[in-house]
Amino acid sequence: MPLVRRPHAPAEAPAVPHSLTEGTAEQRWSAVRAAAERPDGVPRLAAALAQESDPRVREAIFNGLARAATAESAAAVVPYVRSEDAALRTAALDALRAMPAASGPHLPGLLADPDPDVRLLSCELLRNMPESDANRLLIGLLDRETEKNVAAAAIEVLAEIGRSEALPVLARAAQRFADDPFLAFSIKLAADRIGRS
Amino acid sequence: MTDFATVTPEEYSKVCDFLYRRTGMLFTEAKRYYVQRRVSERMAFLKIASFPTYYAYLRSDVDREIEQFINALTVNETYFYREEHQLRCLSSDLLNERVRSKARGAALRIWSVPCATGEEPYSIAMWLLENWPEVDVQDVEIVGSDIDTACLTAAREGEFGQRALMRLSPGLIGKYFVPTGESRWRIVEDLRGSVQFTSANLTDGAQMRAHGRFDVVFCRNVLIYFDDASRRLAAENLFECLVPGGFICLGHTESMSRISPLFEVRRFADAIVYQRPSEGPSEGTHG
Amino acid sequence: MAETAGKRILIVDDANLVRRFYREALERAGFEVDEALNGVEALEKVLAASYDLALVDVNMPQMDGLTFIRALRREAPPISSLPCIVISTEAHDHDKAAARTAGANFYLVKPVGQDLLVEHVAIMCGLPA
Repeated sequence: MPLVRRPHAPAEAPAVPHSLTEGTAEQRWSAVRAAAERPDGVPRLAAALAQESDPRVREAIFNGLARAATAESAAAVVPYVRSEDAALRTAALDALRAMPAASGPHLPGLLADPDPDVRLLSCELLRNMPESDANRLLIGLLDRETEKNVAAAAIEVLAEIGRSEALPVLARAAQRFADDPFLAFSIKLAADRIGRS
Repeated sequence: MTDFATVTPEEYSKVCDFLYRRTGMLFTEAKRYYVQRRVSERMAFLKIASFPTYYAYLRSDVDREIEQFINALTVNETYFYREEHQLRCLSSDLLNERVRSKARGAALRIWSVPCATGEEPYSIAMWLLENWPEVDVQDVEIVGSDIDTACLTAAREGEFGQRALMRLSPGLIGKYFVPTGESRWRIVEDLRGSVQFTSANLTDGAQMRAHGRFDVVFCRNVLIYFDDASRRLAAENLFECLVPGGFICLGHTESMSRISPLFEVRRFADAIVYQRPSEGPSEGTHG
Repeated sequence: MAETAGKRILIVDDANLVRRFYREALERAGFEVDEALNGVEALEKVLAASYDLALVDVNMPQMDGLTFIRALRREAPPISSLPCIVISTEAHDHDKAAARTAGANFYLVKPVGQDLLVEHVAIMCGLPA
C-alpha cells in the first residue's frame, strides 16, 4: 500500500541565524524566532521591531517579547499602543495581554494617559489582571473619566470582572452620563452582572 | 452542596460570555441547562460554595479549569473516524489541492499532533485507503506525534477497545483489525507499520522543526486550552511546519480567531480549515 | 418592518456591550443579527453564511477591522462586495481615510445612537427610507 513510512530523520538544523533586519521576510522571520529562543533576545527584538513592516515578522517579534515577559520586553511593546496603524496597535495589545504580570506596572500610567485612545485600549488589558487590582484601577479611572468611549471601555470590563466595590462608582457614572443611551444601557448591564459578587 | 438552581441567569450569562470570548464557543439558550449543570457539578467537585469564587477560579484557569469545564460539556472522547467531516474534506478537497502543487513523485505528508493513542492517524490512513482514489498512485506519509510517551507506546501497539471502534462498520473492522481478546482489536500489521509515531511538544520549536514540513496538519482540541503566549508560539511552530499552501485543521469547537492571525481561512463543503499562504510575505529585502 | 425581514447584519466588535446594544436596536427593527468578536472570526462567518451588511469595529484582538475588510475584499464575489460600515472610537481624518482605503463603504464615530445606527443600516441595505 502506498502509505509510506520514512525513518524519523530530523530535518537539517537551520542555518546560523540571520540578521533580524536584513534579507527576505522569510529569513527575518526565522532569525526573529531564533532570537526569541535566546535569553539575550529582548533588546535585539525591540530594535528590530522599530524597523519591521512585514506583519508576519512583526507578529513573531511581538510573540517573542510576550514570551520573554520581562519589564524590559513589556516596556518595548507599550509605545506601540499609541501607533496610528490599527494592525500595530492590535499586535501590541495582544502581546501585552499575553504577559499580564510584566504589563501590570505600566497600567496605572496607561490608564491616566492624556490620550483617550490609549486609556480606552488599556482598559481591555485589565481583564487578565488580578481582580482586586483591576477593580481598583477601573474604579479610579471611571470616577474621573469624561470621555464617553473610555468610560464605555471601562464598564465593558467591569461587566466581566467587576465586584461589589465598583457599584457606587457605576451609580455615579450613571448620573454623569445620563444623557447617553449606550452608557446607560452598559452601566445597568454591568451592575446586574456584578449582582451578588 | 450547591444546587444548580442557585446559578442565576446573570451568572450563567457571565460564564457563557467568558467562554465565548476565550474559546469562540457559543452557548445559546438551548444549552443553558447543560452549562448550569456543569457549573454546579464543577462547584460541587471543587467544594466551592459561592459562584463568584468559582467564576474567578474559571477565569484565571486555575488547574486548567477551562479545559475541565469544556471537557465535561463537550464529551471529548477519542475514537476512530471522529469528526468525519474533516476526513471527507481531506479526501475531497485538501489533498487534491495539495497534489496539484507538488512536484511529481513527492510524498504528501500528513501530521496528527497531538495523536494521543493513535486513533486519529490510523483513522486518516484507513480513510484514505477507503475513500481517496489517488492513494494508489500518490505516496502518502502519515506521522502521529504526542508529548505523552505512554500514549505513543500504546499507539505503536495499535490495540483498541470497543468504544474506540464504535463508528466503524463491521466491514472496516474486519479489514483493518484483528481481534486480540475480550473486546479488543489490533490494527493489522501493514497499517501499523505505515504510520510513524514520534515525540513532539507543540511549544518546542526545535522539536517541531525536526519533523520537517507537512501538507496537512490535524491539531485538534489542544491549542484552545493553552495560555495566550503558548497558543501563539504553538501556532508559529505549526505554521513553520506547513509547506506554503498547506492546511491545518482544528477541533470542531475551536477557531483560529482565538489563537492566531497567521493563517488564512478557507471554507470547503465539509469544513472550515486554515491555510499557510502559498506565497510568503513579500520576499523583498528590507533595510 | 417587512422590508428588513431577511436582511442579515454581522456585528464585528470585541465589546460584548456594544454588540448587545446594536443587536437590540437591529432586532427591534426586524433585522437578523449575527456576531463576531474579531476580524478572523468575522472572516469565518462571512465564508460560512451570507450577510447583507457588516458593522465593523477597528480595534479588536488578533485581527483589526481594517485588516478584516482588506481580506474580505480579496475574497471571491459576492463575499468581496459585502457592504461594510466601520464604527470606531477613532475620530481623526486619517482614521477615516485609512478605512476608506481599506475598502469600507461608510464610517461612523462611536458612540452611535440606536436610531442613527438603524437608519444607516437600512440605507446601506438599500431599503426604502
